[in-house]
Amino acid sequence: MPAIIEPPPEEGDAIAPLWKRLGWFLGIALASTLATAGVAYALKALLV
Amino acid sequence: MDLDAILLARLQFAFTIAFHIIFPSFTIGLASFLAVLEGLWLSTRREVFRNLYLFWVKIFALSFGMGVVSGVVMSYELGANWSEFSKVASPVIGPLLAFEVLTAFFLEASFLGVMLFGWKKVGPRLHFAATVLVAIGTLISAFWILSANSWMQHPTGYQVLADGTLRATDWLEVIFSPTFPSRFFHMALAAFLTTSLVVGAASAWQLLRDRTQPESGMALRMAIGMFAIVAPLQLFAGHLSGEMVRVHQPLKLAAIEAYWTTRPDQPQSLVGLPDRQAGKTHYEVEIPGIGNLIQGVPKDTMLQGLDSFPREDWPVVGLVYWSFRIMVGLGLAMIGLGVWGVILILTKRLESSPWFLRSAVLMGPSGFVAVIAGWIVAEVGRQPWTIYGVLRTADSVSPVGPGQVSASLLAFMVIYAVVFSAGAVYILRLIAKGPAPDQEPAPEGEGRAPGSPLAAAPAEPKEV
Repeated sequence: MPAIIEPPPEEGDAIAPLWKRLGWFLGIALASTLATAGVAYALKALLV
Repeated sequence: MDLDAILLARLQFAFTIAFHIIFPSFTIGLASFLAVLEGLWLSTRREVFRNLYLFWVKIFALSFGMGVVSGVVMSYELGANWSEFSKVASPVIGPLLAFEVLTAFFLEASFLGVMLFGWKKVGPRLHFAATVLVAIGTLISAFWILSANSWMQHPTGYQVLADGTLRATDWLEVIFSPTFPSRFFHMALAAFLTTSLVVGAASAWQLLRDRTQPESGMALRMAIGMFAIVAPLQLFAGHLSGEMVRVHQPLKLAAIEAYWTTRPDQPQSLVGLPDRQAGKTHYEVEIPGIGNLIQGVPKDTMLQGLDSFPREDWPVVGLVYWSFRIMVGLGLAMIGLGVWGVILILTKRLESSPWFLRSAVLMGPSGFVAVIAGWIVAEVGRQPWTIYGVLRTADSVSPVGPGQVSASLLAFMVIYAVVFSAGAVYILRLIAKGPAPDQEPAPEGEGRAPGSPLAAAPAEPKEV
């Protein structure tokens, strides 16, 4: 089973190009922001 | 609203906030510790830093989650039990809390995702950037919360409108109220101290079982280095904060030190049993003539005692007095532990000193206790006001009855007992497992995902 908390790449692992890594960086950050906002709006809808 | 409902609402807020403060006071320091560990791993590529990062990041994720859940409860509690406070103060306090969410919480939440799920995907340097951003986010969060609380301790930059509500007239004065810088400094150091004591305790626990474990040896050294520096600094920060109390909240200072009468040349009370009714401290041990010196004022300066204020404005003197002494006593013990640890490191006897290791384990929770005691001094010492000199606690509560408040208090107690006990037990199990990587890989198809918080749980029993 793959690790849920991702460990760092091992020595010798191929490093993806910068544009791809930046894409992941912004993509995960955006997905996390949207998930947080989704929970916040759900709570608001539940309580107001 | 009658007195019972006020008392219940206060108890409920005290209960939920005391639970909540445990988590941020740990995660603020832990986020910075993770950034340091990852920075050291990037610059040295030593496995020990990588293993420590992967171990503490699980505990960070769990603590962060519990901190968020316990924090959300309080913002709703402000509306449910403290609607009059919200109505009067929200034009000032509301934006500060909103800034906290927008500038800090979203920053932390966004990049926590990269921290947990993206190391291989984004590569080491971008991952390090995410860890640093999360660490900065935790400090920004503390900035806004302390700003809001400091304004409640000594409000500035506002006006009272005809309908009794407050409006900010100068946002810089609101955000940077006079007590804010010293209180923020004091709280940030408290968070670093709390984390270093927990890391030290967890590492010492491992070393008591296996003194050759490199991860725990390194983490204990880092923790000792941290609290050996931060604990004495905290004494200085606490003194600065105390000076602000003397200048802006003399009644709180009188309660902290049990100054019953206004006089120059106050004594310094060490221990005793303050009696609010009798207006004296029983069985008191005091040092005469050094109270003014400790407060940093000349001997002939008049320091206000409780007799300068109406009795109905006095806080619960005994609780404030003893909370302060617990906080200071633990702070002094932390300084002692730091000095002891540094001596052992310098003489290369750290791992072979079981008494120190046991003491470090014992001191593990002391940061949390000191933080809670400190907040009791700040918050109970401010009573009977929610906004000092502006809005009384009795005028801040919602028009709800004691039945409603006690029902929600009971619900909170039951839910918190289940949820947070489970979380705390889980974190303790992770800590007991330690940061050393597993020697033997788990058999295929069994156990939990490696690297996940659930990896610490025992595998489900097999059917025979």
